[in-house]
Formats: sequence, structure tokens, C-alpha cells
Amino acid sequence: MKRTRVFEITALLLVIVSVIQVGWWVYDQHDYSTQKLRDARSAYAREVAAAQALLAAGAPAERVHELLPGVAIVNGSARSSGAVDAAVVAERQRRINQYAWESGFFLLALALCVGVIWRALRAETKVLQEQDSFLALVSHQFKTPLASLQLSLETMAKRQLSPEQSRTLMDRMLADLTRMESMVSRILDSVRLERGRVDLRSEPVELAAAVGRVVSQFEERARQERIAVTADVPRGLTVLADPLAVDVVVRNLLENALAAVAAVSGGSVKFTACAANGEIELSVRDSGVGFRTADSARLFKKFSRLHPGGGGSHNGTGLGLFIVRRLMQLTGGRVSAHSIGVGQGALFVLSWPAAPGQSV
Amino acid sequence: MAGGAGAERVSTAQATATRTLVVEDDPHLAAGLAENLRAEGYAVDMAADGRLALTWLRENSCELVVLDVMLPHIDGFTLCRTLRAEGNNTPVLFLTARGDPQDRVLGLEAGGDDYLAKPFHLDEFLLRVRAILRRWEWYRKASATPQSAVLRFGGNEIDFRAFRARSWNGAAQELTEKEAMILKVLAERPGEIVSREDLLERVWGYDVFPSTRTVDNFILRLRKRFERDPANPRHFLTVWGVGYRFLIEGGA
Repeated sequence: MKRTRVFEITALLLVIVSVIQVGWWVYDQHDYSTQKLRDARSAYAREVAAAQALLAAGAPAERVHELLPGVAIVNGSARSSGAVDAAVVAERQRRINQYAWESGFFLLALALCVGVIWRALRAETKVLQEQDSFLALVSHQFKTPLASLQLSLETMAKRQLSPEQSRTLMDRMLADLTRMESMVSRILDSVRLERGRVDLRSEPVELAAAVGRVVSQFEERARQERIAVTADVPRGLTVLADPLAVDVVVRNLLENALAAVAAVSGGSVKFTACAANGEIELSVRDSGVGFRTADSARLFKKFSRLHPGGGGSHNGTGLGLFIVRRLMQLTGGRVSAHSIGVGQGALFVLSWPAAPGQSV
Repeated sequence: MAGGAGAERVSTAQATATRTLVVEDDPHLAAGLAENLRAEGYAVDMAADGRLALTWLRENSCELVVLDVMLPHIDGFTLCRTLRAEGNNTPVLFLTARGDPQDRVLGLEAGGDDYLAKPFHLDEFLLRVRAILRRWEWYRKASATPQSAVLRFGGNEIDFRAFRARSWNGAAQELTEKEAMILKVLAERPGEIVSREDLLERVWGYDVFPSTRTVDNFILRLRKRFERDPANPRHFLTVWGVGYRFLIEGGA
């Protein structure tokens, strides 16, 4: 966001200024040492000339060499010795190299620091954006049931209604409240699950009873929407999981399936279960809208809603399947989704480790 | 209303009542809106998604569409744009859960007449429905006679009933309902000063648009279409700080 942008520009300027600074140092050092080299060379030339003059004046070669040890005397005449010149050049190169390496290291360290801060800022911005979109989404999803509630109430206040009409409106309002209540608990669940703040137990759970309990709670709604819900779970299949988590997972999958079937105006939802390889699988098959095969991974992401407008599900928060996957992961189980395409129904498969002591 | 007796009353009233279509995927909200509209004497049809609504609107006509934005299959904005592109000028009142100004402008640009954010007050909803219908009734009445259905100025010819025009250079023009309404308001009072607020009120209703600049943009568009030299208008004159003056004969 804005803060990151300001940081990015500042960091970029800092890096540019530093590169210029380093460039200047190296150039300055080069310039300085070139000057020094020239001075050294002319001083040496003067020494050679002096030695030559001394030799010409008849000074003995040993004496001249003693006075001017840097000058080579070959066959009675003074010559410049390559060694001195090479030493000066080497010194110059050493200094330039030193500056280049030191400033290179300095630039690298700077770039690393900038990179680390930039990454941290980016991560923070992303979290903030996610929170923003979470809030926007959540408030957005509350508005429809709120609007419905307000409309029902204002209708009651504005109009003369018969007892049956009042009854209808009150039922509607209660249903709207239930919708909002379940949305709130889903949001709280997902927040808790995301932060890992849940105490999940691991104990034997009888699957047939757990599924039966959830299905019986949705019988009325299924009948109203002309959906046949059947549970064909053999007695005695016991999974190792958290009883509450099993309840939430089965409930979310059933709600999901009901919404998918309601979107195509009726059909069926079937629960079946079997044991295999030390695991117990529960399958939820519906004849609803289904989804594109390619979307099966996306389904479990937070807030992913494949059908605009909820595919007939008017109280979807986009959190149900996210919660399912998270809970399954935390209790050592798995969940997978399958559909061969839109309009082709869907199959969700849950698998838990079987409780010990079963002939699996 | 919610009961069977209400449904019978509606079916008998259907022949004469103002017909509306409620497009809303939330069953409670849809039912609540329909019941209240029926209680006000309107005939109501319902569609639960964008595709059903489009099919219905292609085969039937009504005087107002109450249109939710977030709909299965086809969203409200797309539906409205599709209708306008097909030459269907039925007024649209958008309902949406997103109430920010950009969204509002988006809805009106899609060809909507008004925009109401959820949750809303029942009275305000009914008020806006009445306001839209009143504006259209005024427009229809004002274009009812052969003389008032056609406006000629400076070589241009406007057909208010067909929402078409032929400009001075012979080009055929499709008019949006807002352009047609602005022309109508101006044509009713040639030579008089019409304020921007007046135009807003008559064409859009109250507090719909964030600014009167929208009116200016529409006038610019009309000049581009119907003035020989849009930079030196002779028919759509600006009265600085007040509004506009429309001249049939043309002046400077």
C-alpha cells in the first residue's frame, strides 16, 4: 500500500545514491593514484638523472648506488630499474582493488537489508489487505439477511396483517436470524482454526450415530426443498477423531450439498461409508450443480465461491469447506472433492484413521 | 399478502395494475419485496436469477425492474447492459449489498435508473419505486401526442418514443433514456434557463448522483451529437453558474 510504496522509492533512491557514491570513491582513488604514480615516476626520473650526472662528474658507481639505491647502474651509466616502477603500479592497483571490494561488499549488505525490510513490509501489507477483504466480504454477506430482516420488520410495522401473514413473516425473520447466527459461528470457527487455537481430542467416534444426528437436524429443510437425504453408514465403524470436529465437518458438507442440490431445484444427497487400509471413508454424493474438475483444489480455499451469487446458496460465507479441510488436517484425516463437471453432481470423501480394535 | 387470498387479489388486479419484475435470488427478500409491491397495488412477477430474468424480459414487458446486483448466472449490471444494448428501456432500480459511490456510478452507467443499498428502509424503497414510475409516466405523457413525440431543431430530429434521432449531418443516433429525458425537459421549456439541479431532479430523482457534473457530461454528449460546432453551441447554451438554456431556433 502507500507505506510500502514510500519505502520502495526511498530504498531505490538510497541504493542509487550509494552506487554513485561508490563509483565516485573508485574514480577518486583512481585519479589520486594516477597523480601519485606520475609524481613518483618524475621523482624517479630525477633520481636517475642525478645519478647519471654524478657518474658523469666522475663519482664512483658504488658511492652513487649507496646514495641513490633505487637507480640501477649498468656498465657505468644510470638506468631506471623496472622493480620500483612495478612496485608503484602494484600499490596503486591494490588501493583501487581494496576500494572496489569494500564498496562492493557495502553495496551488497545494503541491498540485502533493503530486500529484507521490503519483504517484511510486503508480507504485512498482504496481511492487511486480506483482513480488509475479509471484513468487506463478511459485512457484504451479512447485508442480505439483514435487509430481509429489516424488510420483514418494517412490513409488520407498516401494514395490517392477518395472523397467518404475521406468522409467515416471523418464521422468515427467525430463519434470517438463524442464517446470521450460523454465519457468525462459521467466521469464528475459521478464525480460531486459522490461529490454531483449538483443543481437538482424539477419541473413538461412532460414525453412523454422528452422521445420523446431523442428518436428522436437516430433515425438515431437505423436505421443504424436495431433497432426498439418505445415510447408508454401517453400524460399528468407529473413527479416531474429535467428536465435535466430526459433527462440524459432516454438517458443513451436508449444508454444502443441500445448497448445491437446491440450486438445481431438488435431487438427492447420499452418505455412504466403508473401511479400508486402516482408514474409514465417508462419502457424500449429491446430484447438485457440481463444479469443473479443475476447480476441485480451489474449493477448499478461504472465500472461494465458484458460482457467482452462491450457486443458489444464499448464506454461503465461502468458509464452510475451508473449515472442513482445516479440521480434517488437524485431526489426522483427509478430504477430497470430485465432480466431472458443472451440472454433474459432486462427491466429497472424508477419511479418518480407524479407531483401534476394529476388524478393518 | 403472504397468504392465498392476496394471490387472488393480485391475479384480478393484474390486467390494469402497473407491472413490475423483482429479480432477487434471496427467497425471503424476494418474497418480502413482492408482497409489499403487491400491497401498493402493483402487479409483480419474480425471477430468481439473471438468466430467468433476461428470458422473461425478452418475452414480456413491464414498467419497472427491481434488480439485485449479485445474481446467479448473469449479474445485475450485465443484465441491465444487455437489456439496454437490445434496445429495452424498461426502468431499473438496482438493489445491492455494496453501497460505495463507485458501485453506485457503475450501476447508473450500466443503464440503471436508481440504486438502493441493502439493507434499506421499506418506505424508501417504495418512494424510489414511485419516483421512477412518476418520471417515466411524465416522459410518456409528454411524448404522447404526435407533436410532442418529435422535436426538430437546427436540422436535427429527435423521436422521443423510439429513442432515436437523426442529426443535422444525416447520422442516425440511438438515444439513452437519460439523454432522451434531458432533451425532453429542455424541449418543454425552450428559451428558459433550466438549472442543473432541476435537470437532476427531473431526470434522475433525488440524491442519486454524487454531483451535478454528471449533467454537464450529458450536455457535452448532446452537443457533440447535435451541434454543428460543439465548441460554439447554438442550441445547448451554458448559463454560467446556473444551468442551461435550450434554443430551438439557435442563437449565440
